[in-house]
Amino acid sequence: MSAIEVKKLVKQYKNGVRALDDLNIKVNKGEIFSLLGPNGAGKSSLINILTTYYTPTSGNVTVLGKDLFKEPAWIRTQIACVAQHISIDAHLSLMENMIFQSRIYKVEAKVAKQRIESLIDSFELSDYLKYPTVSYSGGVKRRLDIAMNMVSSPKILFLDEPTVGMDVNSRKNMWKMLLKIRDEYKTTIFLTTHYLEEAEHLSDTICIMKEGKDLAQGTPSSLRNYISQNIIRIAFSDTGKAKKCKDALDGMELVNFTSIRNNSVFASVGDSRTDYPKVNKFLLDHMVEFNAIEISEPSLEDVFLALTSANRGEE
Amino acid sequence: MLNILWRSIKWRFQNPISIAVTVLQPLIWLVLYSAVAGQIMQNLGISNYTAFILPGIIVLVTLGACCSGGIINFIMKTNGSFYRILIAPIRRSSIVLGQMLEAVLVSFLEVAILCIVSFFFSVTVASGIAGILLMILLIFMTAFFMSGITYTISLLLPNEVIYETIMNAIVLPIFFLSPALFPLENLTGGLKIAIMLNPFTHIINALRRLIFEDTILINDIVPVIGLFTVMCCISFALAFWRLKKETTH
Repeated sequence: MSAIEVKKLVKQYKNGVRALDDLNIKVNKGEIFSLLGPNGAGKSSLINILTTYYTPTSGNVTVLGKDLFKEPAWIRTQIACVAQHISIDAHLSLMENMIFQSRIYKVEAKVAKQRIESLIDSFELSDYLKYPTVSYSGGVKRRLDIAMNMVSSPKILFLDEPTVGMDVNSRKNMWKMLLKIRDEYKTTIFLTTHYLEEAEHLSDTICIMKEGKDLAQGTPSSLRNYISQNIIRIAFSDTGKAKKCKDALDGMELVNFTSIRNNSVFASVGDSRTDYPKVNKFLLDHMVEFNAIEISEPSLEDVFLALTSANRGEE
Repeated sequence: MLNILWRSIKWRFQNPISIAVTVLQPLIWLVLYSAVAGQIMQNLGISNYTAFILPGIIVLVTLGACCSGGIINFIMKTNGSFYRILIAPIRRSSIVLGQMLEAVLVSFLEVAILCIVSFFFSVTVASGIAGILLMILLIFMTAFFMSGITYTISLLLPNEVIYETIMNAIVLPIFFLSPALFPLENLTGGLKIAIMLNPFTHIINALRRLIFEDTILINDIVPVIGLFTVMCCISFALAFWRLKKETTH
């Protein structure tokens, strides 16, 4: 059974902005589902609808087999949401925040006590028990925020850009925590992000969306097939040379888009077999000094750029 | 509802300045103004002016406490917990009632401070225990009505600065267009009509009668209780409607 099924979902605001436009997604139980898209893609609008905060203009949404619009009260008992901004009560202590959350979800006191102890342990919060929450760092506050939302043992946990603004270490710790939630608590995780690396590392399923539409949905590896592996990688000794090459390639008609990663330029072409010698010749004709050139497997970023660029072209 | 109430009270007692600020100005009115104006008022036949203005000051302090209750919504919206509670399996009526009752409790706390101070100015309740119980009911209704209104207004406005400006613009005219400081008898014309249309005029008059008169006249009290019962229902319905609207974007 799927955890969430969204069919032809439309959300049009009073100011005329169509945030969601015939969106279709399916989230399987027990998986980490990432919604990937640029700013303004409609990710937050979707999460607000799925968490019963917004009402849609039209469409159907089923959560755990029940209609979201007919049974929002029941669905609220099954979900929790970690919002984009930390939502702990700074005037309550760590323990009071946890207890308050357990009470509003009507968790029996004895069960709540056990869960809170287990979560404090799992999320490594015990060292912070004696300090006021207002003094916590952003990373600890975020951990507490997630732990609080796990007190009710939700079947589905929504996270709206949970790692935005975090440093590299905090982000990696957060990833570990999310994988732990999926594996230990068997919770379905619905996550929005605009970090491709995050989506690729964490997700069982990824949906790429833009301007309210779902462009592609599947596992990270299946999404790579969307652009038929038509990527040519040109390696350089430094990023400066890579940038110069990128600028030159952007002017080539056969190149759809380019990106730079690890001193390499990745160029998307129509057919890598026939276009490979053409790109090679172009580089030699323009006296571009490169270390290596090869046909490469596309990354999620290439897929994302390919899909969103193609979409732009259709407009 | 009790959880929301507990959480709001925790906030209030961690921010005692919100109590001090709302009780300070009415205390100044009660102590300083009654001392200064008391001598003049004795010529008008008001023997204890502190007792005379106490009902008006009680209403003023209740309005102030309820206004500060609305601020909690802005704080919750800023720290994100407003959204977290709205998507939790908790009845909207419980959210509204929890916050309204917190404002009512703070009102009672501040009224208690005023009453203790008044005791040192020889203020007593002539109508006895029954009168005190009726006063508690009337103060509860005033606070409940006002907390519903401030809750609704706080959800209608974009930020606390505009909210405080608007609440000041509402509270002061309500206070001055009432018999809080002067007897109503000598007033005539449009001003008297405006004062009589102010529902808080009737609360102040009822409280004053309970303080000064040893006999409770049911005909004086029941219409006020009836009026405020209706107003409380409307106020709660408005607050409930406004909160529900938060989830119908």
